[in-house]
Amino acid sequence: MIRRKILFTALSLGVSAFAVGALPLASPAMADVGEIRDLTLLARDQGANPQAFQAAQLIAQVWNQLGLKVTVRGMPRLQQSELVWYNRDKWDMTMWQMVGRPERSDPDELLFNLFHSSTTESGYNFIGYKSEEFDKLAEAQRVETDKDKRSDLIKQAQAVLARDQPNMFLVYPKRTFAFDNAIFADDSVVEQSGLGIKNIWSYLGAKPLGDQKDMILNSTDPLNAINPLYISGATDSWVTELIWDRLLRISPEGLAEPWAAESFEWLDQTTIDVVLREGMKWHDGMPVTVEDVVFSFEVPNVGDEVPMYKPFVKNIESIEIIDDRTVRFKLNNPSAAFLTSSLAKVNLVPKHIWQPVIDDLANRPENAESYQEDLPIGSGPFKFVRWKQQEEVVLARNPEHFSPPQIDRWIIRIVSNSEATISMLRSGEINFLADYNGDPEILKDVAAKDGDISIVSSTDIGFQYATVNQRRPPFDDVAMRRALSLAIDRDLMVEAAWNGSAEVANSPVSTALAFWRDDDALAISANLEEAKALLKDAGYRLIDGRLHYPEGVEETLVGP
Amino acid sequence: MLRVMNRLLHMVFVLWAVATIMFFMFRLMTGNPLAAYIDTNFTIEQQQALMAQFGLDKPLWKQYIIYMGNLLQGELGQSFFYRKPVGEVLMNAFPNTIVLTMGALVIAYLFGIPVGAYLAWKRGTWVEGVGIPTVLATRAAPEFWLGMILLAVFAFNLGWFPSGGANTAGAEFDSELARFLSLDFLWHLILPALSLSLYLQGLPLLLMRSNMLEVMQEEFVTMARMKGLSEWAIIMRHAARNALLPVVTTFALSIGLSVGGNVVVETVFSWPGLGRLLVGAVASSDFPLAQGAFLLITLVLVTMNFVADLLYHTLDPRVSHGSRN
Amino acid sequence: MAAATEDLALAPYIYRRKSVRKRVLSALHSLVAVPMRDPFALAGVAIYAVFVFVAIFANQIAPYDPLEILFADGKLAANIAPLTEPHILGTTNLGRDIFSQLVFGTRSALIIGLSAAFVVATLGTLVGLLAGYFGGWVDVVTMRVADIALGIPFLPFVIVLAAFLDPSVWNIVLAMAILLWPNTARVVRSQVLTVRERAFIDAARVTGSSTSRIIFQHVAPNILPLSFLYGSIAIGWAILTEASISFLGFGDSNSVSWGVMLQDAFLSQALSRGQYYWFLPPGFCIILVVVAGFFISRGYEEILFPKLRD
Repeated sequence: MIRRKILFTALSLGVSAFAVGALPLASPAMADVGEIRDLTLLARDQGANPQAFQAAQLIAQVWNQLGLKVTVRGMPRLQQSELVWYNRDKWDMTMWQMVGRPERSDPDELLFNLFHSSTTESGYNFIGYKSEEFDKLAEAQRVETDKDKRSDLIKQAQAVLARDQPNMFLVYPKRTFAFDNAIFADDSVVEQSGLGIKNIWSYLGAKPLGDQKDMILNSTDPLNAINPLYISGATDSWVTELIWDRLLRISPEGLAEPWAAESFEWLDQTTIDVVLREGMKWHDGMPVTVEDVVFSFEVPNVGDEVPMYKPFVKNIESIEIIDDRTVRFKLNNPSAAFLTSSLAKVNLVPKHIWQPVIDDLANRPENAESYQEDLPIGSGPFKFVRWKQQEEVVLARNPEHFSPPQIDRWIIRIVSNSEATISMLRSGEINFLADYNGDPEILKDVAAKDGDISIVSSTDIGFQYATVNQRRPPFDDVAMRRALSLAIDRDLMVEAAWNGSAEVANSPVSTALAFWRDDDALAISANLEEAKALLKDAGYRLIDGRLHYPEGVEETLVGP
Repeated sequence: MLRVMNRLLHMVFVLWAVATIMFFMFRLMTGNPLAAYIDTNFTIEQQQALMAQFGLDKPLWKQYIIYMGNLLQGELGQSFFYRKPVGEVLMNAFPNTIVLTMGALVIAYLFGIPVGAYLAWKRGTWVEGVGIPTVLATRAAPEFWLGMILLAVFAFNLGWFPSGGANTAGAEFDSELARFLSLDFLWHLILPALSLSLYLQGLPLLLMRSNMLEVMQEEFVTMARMKGLSEWAIIMRHAARNALLPVVTTFALSIGLSVGGNVVVETVFSWPGLGRLLVGAVASSDFPLAQGAFLLITLVLVTMNFVADLLYHTLDPRVSHGSRN
Repeated sequence: MAAATEDLALAPYIYRRKSVRKRVLSALHSLVAVPMRDPFALAGVAIYAVFVFVAIFANQIAPYDPLEILFADGKLAANIAPLTEPHILGTTNLGRDIFSQLVFGTRSALIIGLSAAFVVATLGTLVGLLAGYFGGWVDVVTMRVADIALGIPFLPFVIVLAAFLDPSVWNIVLAMAILLWPNTARVVRSQVLTVRERAFIDAARVTGSSTSRIIFQHVAPNILPLSFLYGSIAIGWAILTEASISFLGFGDSNSVSWGVMLQDAFLSQALSRGQYYWFLPPGFCIILVVVAGFFISRGYEEILFPKLRD
């Protein structure tokens, strides 16, 4: 009651301060010595990710109980990444997410990139976490080719993270998808482990039962680019992986298996021969050749025109054409994840189209990411038809492909809100719910009423988390991070923010990848009192309800 | 004729001023206007080369001259987000917005004018007592809220209308014109146009009413009354015609105002128009696109002000007399 | 949404015949007398009185902090149905008391509305006074600037402004100040032109009153009702604009306003859940406040431009 009074007083004071025209968004001048500054928890705006936004509100409330002063601020994706990604020492705390992608079925990509110290400057380690112990483990697992030994190393690395809490992992969401089972045969839609039914195997396998032979999916965000040499928005990658083939593809079981390659063979730990399938054609009718394959893997390494794919080909020492269907990759170091994160990741692009483009770009400041083909040409199971910016992307079946889809057209509709999305699913305006971040209960009700809607939810490889900037005090202090993490009630998050449709997380390796994690070692449960005790032991002082640094520690911030 | 030239010059002046203000807003308030375009994958040299390419290394006044020169040639630059010329992106959205606006205005005026005349005729009765507050309430209701309710009732619950967009997914048309004339498009247009017109009908209605009241005081109406014409005949033949003129001129004005005000309704109905484009561009820091969308909306607004002004002076001889004096 | 802009922008057309009318009531008299004479205006004043009362005593009326996430028995108190003790209108998807949000929303609505009205009326009146009284180049320059401001589309301008500045309701007030003064200024100016020629002003000039004295003591009181009219139109418009901007996601999500409530409800799928008690009340509140403003301004309009009454 008293607390409420104080809040009200503060609120009315704030309001009256507004009234005289002051804009007290932050009032650092008032802070007394040693008090931890007011903090802003950045998040995607509520519309874009309502669950994470709710989670942020809950987290702010509980962190305030520790004596911090945290306010949540929602913003559009680009604005958030502008701050977090490109101004690495100017923010304090943020909500973030990693989305599941087929190539993330191997834990390496997320584990290494997110926390290895080499990626602090401009890569994924935007939080500035540095640990020699972790670096060694992350490097060791990369070159370990024995699966069990590698799993051990990965588990040890996760244990280090659980101890240091550089990120406060919250949940592995269960992605909920749905489709109209009166239009597509129920058993023809394929679930891929860690990704759900929204995957290429469903698009290829889905069998139309009646006259409707178009699969119509929804996306919340508009597309940014349709470009095989650019990893842009999440929705963009749904499209690129259908237009362009890769040598290998991640199977529904999560393994890298031959696709455009007929077969592959390891000659030794650093040499692999890949045989290209016969008779493949680009959508413009030209044949797919081994020269195209070599070009696709070499182009990220030549100059700076394809920066985003560089990490995936960096380990390649040379590519050699053996005959008109075989290429030989020689690697610098042995790599356990090479099949998944290189051969199943890099898009095969036609040299006759891209070579002139790349040559032209070499004389200009832009790189290949800035280039948008009017009519994208790949060799994949779907051909590009049209892209209307705020409306839809239409792809059509490629009957000449070695694995042609059953559906005639594959269409994405851009629908920015969940209310309309649900309604469209009911009315048949869409028939495959591919992007839903609303309340799963509502979807279940709708499905029960409709009768023809199948819902499939599966735990994601991706995860949602809150994180703090370890370049700035007090977050460089492990005790502080542990306390913050301990204060978060993840079970409550699952219930209150994700409506029960998620699993508690404490590691970058999802429960969907059970082989790579030790569930017991990663168990975590909230304890606010213990969190407070942890802070007290570390010397933090609570004065008038506000947390202060330990005696003698002064707040110094890098950057302006 | 001199008047028209004068007004035209005036319009050009306003356009120039708004474009100038926009230039300085986008240059001075954004820090680095290329921030959303340059990512850290670019090397320092590339970043500098890009700055040079966009002319950002030049002094502000030079940048301004380049910008104005480009504008005069209709060159709006490249959208950061879509990686296409801004003009092309805008022209995909613009027709949708114009059709929505015109559709809504036509409904609003077809409803508002007769009902306004009717309310004038019924002045002092209970009809007026109920009618006026109702009309005012529709003008006071947030458009997106009305839209949400219409959407919930007619699309989500009854399923009579689609839940958003301008066309059925994957629909094929021979031409843009064929698309606008298709039943499919009309079906998608109805709900958003209706929510807009719910709001827009208030203006012609109230204007018509007050003009009618005014005209009915004038001598020729009194004369007609004395000649023994029926009240209905007076209203239709004399009063309404005279009261209508000023209402018509506001139609043009409303087009200009509405194109900018459509933003929220376009968002509710996922309508692929200019307003949603602007919102999206602003949210993704796509400054060239945001600037282009803003200028296009301004162009419509200023042009329609000009048209309304001309109409007003052409239709109402009293005014031109006034200005000549 | 653009209610007031249209009204304001159209003013010169609508009022064309009345603006030359030389009947100007004394400011004080009309301010008080209007509500007494006009039942609509009286209703408007009554509605305002209620909202002002709620805004002032929000702390006492609202049972909860509008932003506090509530728990019951260790579980989140989310999506509680209305009329469940102690939640009159139930709770939001995140366990916040809807009634408390509605009550505190009144406060921010009135603050935004009144400050916008004040800024628009003051700025417009001042400029109009100066332009009208001095004429000449002052008049030419200010009226050209006014033309420019009227050529800028309002809602898009607020969106762009909100994107550059931090999210805050003051963006809306600022935008209104920048873009809406010209409507007031134009009407005030033409009013001043007629007042200026009157005998008592000449008398003041002859007796050697200073310019500022003439402007503020003799001319200004005559045009006060007019500024008041334009101010009252601006109230409703500011509230509607805030709602739209919040709905589009450019508002301050940490503030409590009807617009933010509506956005929250929409994004939390209140429509699909059938939570009418969540998304209807803020809309009705907005309508009531804005309509009350319309009623009052119509009352003044009829006093100022009495022909409408007959």
